[in-house]
Amino acid sequence: MALNLTINTSNPPLGALLTAEHVKSSVQVSVEEGKDTRLHISDSVQFSDDNSICRYLARVAPALGLYGSNMMEQTEVDHWLEFSARSLCNQPDLTVALAELDKALSLRTFLVGHALTLADLSVWAALKDHGEWPKQGKSFSHVSRWFFFLSSQVPFTAVGNKYTSKKA
Amino acid sequence: MPMYQVKPICGGDIKIDLPTCMYKVPNIHAQQGKSCTPEHALQNGEVDPAVKALEARQDEIMRKLYELKAAVEGLAKTVMTPDADLDLTVSSSLSSQCSTTFKNTTDLDTVLGKDLGALRDIVINANPVQPPLTLLMLHSLLCQHYRVLSTVHVHSSVASVPPQLLSCLGPRHTDSYARHMFQLGFTLIWKDVPKPQMKFSIKNMCPIEGEGNIARFLFKLLAPYPSDPAVATLVDSWVDTAFFQLAEGSVKERSTVLRALNSTLGSNPWLAGPEFSLADVACYCCVLQSGSASSSPANVQRWIKSCENLGHFSHAKLLLK
Repeated sequence: MALNLTINTSNPPLGALLTAEHVKSSVQVSVEEGKDTRLHISDSVQFSDDNSICRYLARVAPALGLYGSNMMEQTEVDHWLEFSARSLCNQPDLTVALAELDKALSLRTFLVGHALTLADLSVWAALKDHGEWPKQGKSFSHVSRWFFFLSSQVPFTAVGNKYTSKKA
Repeated sequence: MPMYQVKPICGGDIKIDLPTCMYKVPNIHAQQGKSCTPEHALQNGEVDPAVKALEARQDEIMRKLYELKAAVEGLAKTVMTPDADLDLTVSSSLSSQCSTTFKNTTDLDTVLGKDLGALRDIVINANPVQPPLTLLMLHSLLCQHYRVLSTVHVHSSVASVPPQLLSCLGPRHTDSYARHMFQLGFTLIWKDVPKPQMKFSIKNMCPIEGEGNIARFLFKLLAPYPSDPAVATLVDSWVDTAFFQLAEGSVKERSTVLRALNSTLGSNPWLAGPEFSLADVACYCCVLQSGSASSSPANVQRWIKSCENLGHFSHAKLLLK
């Protein structure tokens, strides 16, 4: 099954790209540059928002466990997907959201369970994309620790270098 | 022949007066044999056959009782099933599908993992200014499938709560003291929170925010998500649309969504295809809450009717008034 992801080059969907990068070993996803972000599945089914694309990609590659390993983890992933879309993206002030994130990460290595999930990908992408993050993030030690731990890993560096530089 | 004989010096039994100044101790040697043997037998795991027989009899009685209970519950379901009064304008194949949607009730243990006897307690904080209709509706669906202990509380951050919201989970259970008789606890707290929050199994789960996410969780307790990734994602995408664009969006956004709903419902009976799903629950509640039900296009009107015919929605509608 080959999937086709078209991305809006002026505003690349980092979370979706990051997910595509993670699932590429089990699902074939080709990335094309265009005007609108869109994941084409069939003529009748297409997804255009970041969270739906992430969800779909995680579901077609169930072996990676990106959507959590049980129902409670799935619910937590849903929570963080909404959190990154509503409280981080396009929000001028991050302090409240970062404080909440810091609390959640204080006893955790990954946001949900003990492995990488969509929650990490989408929150990481939202922070990476955010102009205020480097300034406001310094005082939140747990978030910083988690952010740099992920940033140093391969799919994250690849996507980060390729697409964020383009935006700036 | 004997050499000589000696007469016994004293008579056969002499009474000796034992001193009374000391305390007496029962003879520990005499009973040893008797008291120890049964204890040893128990330690070896052997049980009196009489007790065994009694236990077997009790198990048998319990089994019969459970069977009887299951039979009665089955009968009750056939009598009180909500699709008895289904509207015939919805095609019959459809109605059979949506009634089966909830019949394959998932076992709580398999969905949530084994829990050692504790009551699974779902605690939801919600703002009375914006009652979470979807959650109240899902609550009444949960009540049809599980024994749910529901309670409503008012947090001190809220001054007054309308009476219909105080009684929104139905009358108080008469045997609410016996928590072991219930499978799920559902506690609704009216509180001044920006978004509905759910706390469940806080040892290993973070608090869940957002009505859509809580609704996804509650719905999974009723029926598994579609197994096709595209359909499952379509459901999630409609849920997002309902809560972010229908419920919170501008007039323009809302009319865009209503148009999208209309075109989808032109080719499908339900939002995510041939089967009733969480997408329908969420969109129905948000259309109703946004007050655009009467001004919506034809296919949406028809779909609102078919939702209402399912019978689960009447309760939620009453709360709005």
